[in-house]
Amino acid sequence: MYESLLNWLIFTPCIGAVACLLLPADKARNIALGTSIITLLMTIVLALEFQIGHSGPQFVTTLQWIPAINVQYKVGLDGLSLPLIVLTSALSVLVIGAGWKIEKSPNIFMALYLLLLSGMYGVFVSLDLVLFYVFFEISLLPMYFLIGVWGGPRKEYAAIKFFLYTLAGSICLLITMLGIYNVTSSADFVAGNTWDMMALQTPAIQALFSPEGEYWNFARWAFWLTFIAFAIKIPVAPFHTWLPDAHVEAPTPISMILAGVLLKMGGYALMRITYPLFPDAASLYWECVACIAVFGILYGALCAMAQTDWKKLVAYSSVSHMGYVTLGIAVLTRTGFDGAYYQMIGHGITSAMMFFLVGVVYERAHHREINNFGGLWLAWPKYGGWSMLGFFAGMGLPGLCGFIGEVMVLLGTFQAAQRVEDPTFVYIIGSLAAFGVVLTAGYILWMFQRIYMGKTRPEYDHFEKPTGREYAIMVTLGVAALIFGIAPILVFSYTNATFNNLMSVIGLAGLTN
Amino acid sequence: MHTLITLAQLTAVEADQETVRKLLVWATLLPLVSSIMVLFLGTRYLKKQAGTFACVVMGISFACAILAAFKFTSGNMESFTWKIPWIPIYMGKDGASWLYLGLFCDQLTVALMAMVTGISLLVHIYSVGYMEGDKRYERFFCYLSAFTFSMLGIVTANGLMQLFVFWELVGLTSYLLIGFWFEKKGPQLACKKAFVMNRVGDTGFLIGFGILFVQLGGKVLVPAADGSMFDAIAAELGGKAAIMEHPPMWLTVAGICLFFGAIGKSAQFPLHTWLPDAMEGPTPVSSIVHSATMVAAGVYLTARIFPILTPAAHLFVCIIGLITLVMASMMAMVMTDIKRVLAYSTLSQLGYMILGVGSGAYIFALFHLITHAFFKCCLFQCSGSVINMAHHQQDMRYYGGLAKKMPLTALAYGICTLTISGIGIGSFSIFSGFYSKDGIILGTYNYAHELGGLGSLFFWGPVIVAYITPFYMARSFALTFLGKPRDQHLYDHVKEAPKTMVVPQLILALCAIISVPWLLPWEQMIEVTRETLVNKNVTWIQGIPTHAEHHHIALPLLFGLAGALMLAVGIWMYKDGFGKAEYLLKKVPGLKLLYTWALNKFYFDHLYDVFFVKMTKCFAAICNFIDKWGFDGLVNVAGHWTKGLAWFTGAFDNKVVDGLVNGAANSARAGGQALRTTQPGRIRVYVSLLFVGLVIALMFAMTLVTG
Repeated sequence: MYESLLNWLIFTPCIGAVACLLLPADKARNIALGTSIITLLMTIVLALEFQIGHSGPQFVTTLQWIPAINVQYKVGLDGLSLPLIVLTSALSVLVIGAGWKIEKSPNIFMALYLLLLSGMYGVFVSLDLVLFYVFFEISLLPMYFLIGVWGGPRKEYAAIKFFLYTLAGSICLLITMLGIYNVTSSADFVAGNTWDMMALQTPAIQALFSPEGEYWNFARWAFWLTFIAFAIKIPVAPFHTWLPDAHVEAPTPISMILAGVLLKMGGYALMRITYPLFPDAASLYWECVACIAVFGILYGALCAMAQTDWKKLVAYSSVSHMGYVTLGIAVLTRTGFDGAYYQMIGHGITSAMMFFLVGVVYERAHHREINNFGGLWLAWPKYGGWSMLGFFAGMGLPGLCGFIGEVMVLLGTFQAAQRVEDPTFVYIIGSLAAFGVVLTAGYILWMFQRIYMGKTRPEYDHFEKPTGREYAIMVTLGVAALIFGIAPILVFSYTNATFNNLMSVIGLAGLTN
Repeated sequence: MHTLITLAQLTAVEADQETVRKLLVWATLLPLVSSIMVLFLGTRYLKKQAGTFACVVMGISFACAILAAFKFTSGNMESFTWKIPWIPIYMGKDGASWLYLGLFCDQLTVALMAMVTGISLLVHIYSVGYMEGDKRYERFFCYLSAFTFSMLGIVTANGLMQLFVFWELVGLTSYLLIGFWFEKKGPQLACKKAFVMNRVGDTGFLIGFGILFVQLGGKVLVPAADGSMFDAIAAELGGKAAIMEHPPMWLTVAGICLFFGAIGKSAQFPLHTWLPDAMEGPTPVSSIVHSATMVAAGVYLTARIFPILTPAAHLFVCIIGLITLVMASMMAMVMTDIKRVLAYSTLSQLGYMILGVGSGAYIFALFHLITHAFFKCCLFQCSGSVINMAHHQQDMRYYGGLAKKMPLTALAYGICTLTISGIGIGSFSIFSGFYSKDGIILGTYNYAHELGGLGSLFFWGPVIVAYITPFYMARSFALTFLGKPRDQHLYDHVKEAPKTMVVPQLILALCAIISVPWLLPWEQMIEVTRETLVNKNVTWIQGIPTHAEHHHIALPLLFGLAGALMLAVGIWMYKDGFGKAEYLLKKVPGLKLLYTWALNKFYFDHLYDVFFVKMTKCFAAICNFIDKWGFDGLVNVAGHWTKGLAWFTGAFDNKVVDGLVNGAANSARAGGQALRTTQPGRIRVYVSLLFVGLVIALMFAMTLVTG
């Protein structure tokens, strides 16, 4: 009876969006909240019904969509999707809570947001390349309007930049997709041409993309094209410059969902498409990718240190933290993959929390200049406490969710030394990545000192204290950061089987002794 | 029948282990519980009772630890480990090994548990008096208990990863404690500095762990069945003859990297500068951070990883210890801030311990860790009493003659001064510091002897510092408590500290005395650990001295009496203020230079500020510049070109194509509109560009595939 639930999950937000537009504007918030709670409940049901230990997708629906070119509507849920779906559902409720006070046409805001939600769900459950691409694009458009209409002073610039930059990435993806389609058509397959992700991972097609295979050249190109497509989304430095602008201009709830979920699409897609499809190319270029990732970690952290705009600092911290995701994937070890995945979940929680914490203050102070703050902790002790939890979770303190991902990625990186002849390179990469932790501590503590410590400023007296709604969001995120910092098994029990399978597809089972 | 009895015995042993385990778990978790309760209930319900509450909970924790220690020692129990899986680490297809959380218990664990909980309890009690009237009174106990919890976590850790978790938590809680008065600039900077420098060390730790993980695989993660993970590693290494004969480079590097964590936490050179700055925190914090807990963690770690340190790594450890030891003692001689004197003294004593571990006398290093914990905690508490009574005047230039006003504090301070100086006659003393320091010097003697040549520095360094220590301690004692008051106003207002502060001081002073080996069996308690650690065929660990040997050496005599001599010199010089010292400074050539250097902490702070802080900030600014004008510049240029192209096509479309139809007059106006590039217009352009892109992409893909 739950077989079709996944489809409902994807399209319920669309129904909610239509309802938001049709019904009176002042009802929009409640409708959106209701919709997101319904999807959250659906997600919980899915998670409970999910069979742990099965590597393949569950709740699969397959329909012919465009028979002429074999495009299917195929969705399913496996260990790689489920935790991210849960993250999306949980965050979406909080994001609507954070956007409760949006004054400017809230019905359109909520409708667009729900549309975005559909797109995100779609991305995480699509098992067909075209379908994936469609959802990938669908999630783009609402975001463009959400930033462009409800954003800050430079909203148009930021929105266009975001849109075009990501679109450029999408084109890279599209090229590869078309290429893959042609490959499957030219080879002798019983199934014929296909966009099916699962079918593409079969050994027959994998053989074509191997160094001995017919399409080795194409595979190498395709690896880089898809990598860039998703690297822009993650974002991997140097493809990251859309991110600080988008974040700075976006309203708080949108920043939360952007950092919390949209960036994860990139990491997810690398694990779902790029690496399983072109594993040989990936292991050929792994050093290069790892270098890019480590560059991103250090560069993002240094840029964050130089910022005086609070929100921009948090945005650059995302660049740095998502660098660990890229690194974990790049090093091609099981621990690295696990760590990268966990880092995505952890960053989803902490980045949303950090952006929210910034937003709470920005709403009252109407500026984000770090040097013009100080003593916030004394003014709002409770808020200060939760802020500490949020920022320190971002810093990767043990017991909070940032730690596990970071440490596992680092261990995974070192683990790569086992399969190469000369481990020096691995040690250097690992050490540099570990050094990123110091820089992270540096910029977060420096920011924390300038904003929260010191004497209070007189203007804070006029600020309204954080409301119960705001505390509820902070506490939820903070508690989540704690829970996922203490019990990583919550995620890994779901992902384990799928990752085992993924590792054997990538052909690393034998490599990681 | 026979088997039945064995089974019964086994279950009895297991039952005992179970009891000890439960006691230790409770002892560890209770401070956390107290911390959380004070955090959530403190301001609303507990209020002024928060201190008492925390003290009571800490007392229970202490009782648990003591009970566990008795049970473990009296029952002659084997060390045991207990673990619960935490993070799965998949090592290939056949399943997960785990990063475990759990508990490892041996003699060292129970001894340190008792010590840490005991001292923490006394510091809690002391804080009730010291923090009275502070506006965040409750919060202080929350942090203090959390800090104790983190430290207990380190002591009970059953593996490197768990140790690292609590290692970082100690960093966090010390950050909170040092920065407790965050309204002021000093604590802000100090806590940040402490945290970042600790993180530098932690990075080393992580790298070392990573290298071990690569080279030894899952062995690093899994604790041995009967012992800790450290034993497992040692056994793994000890079994390999090739490694024993020629210690590989990676092992040395891994050892040094792990030791880097200890450098950070134990504030060894070159990461030592955070410790004196940490004096900005409330004095109870100094007394716990600098005695039983944070700084002790580094020594503890070094002792635990001792079996995997190669000879080269030992040498490295010794060099670091020696540098810290000598440098810090020189700085301690010139400081006038009473807490800074003690801080540098701590550094110097930590140098002793690290040197002791490195030279193989790590039993004595750990023994010194325990004795030092007592007397240094007491010294800090005494200084705190003085400071609190003297209206937060910390400069000894304004003290003098306070013994009359606060006799009990002076008594405690005096006893601890004698203890840290290691006063003794022959091989006997009533002060515990004598035994522990003596053991370390004995170890360094053996080590220096083995090395020969320049290695003798490892012996003479500690000996000379053993002369300096009584001098600077006597100096601080004389300047504070003896002579005539130098600030009459201050003197008049000083009175003896309240009972909650004096009693812990006296208890600690008493502990410093009764920790002598012939009263409390600290040494034996640690001794057992050594055997389990060394009996793993790790052949490069040899010549660990025991106390039995040292009766044959004239050293103790030399050293115990010299301590007394230097103490007398110190008191004679400083009991009437700085007069004699200044005279000496003028007359002896070169002394002034050394004095200035030491006073400026050998310019390390300046050096680090320029080379690390400024450089990192500069680097950050460069990155930001590159980001703005480099990467983003490229994006913007691309955007502008596209816009230009769009304008051109727009104009072309309107002027030429449209113009052919509508005539020149209309086209001029349309061109103007296109110039304005309104929103919908732009989107149209982008969408058309998208299609152009798609076509290009298609063509490209075709050529790739077909070609």
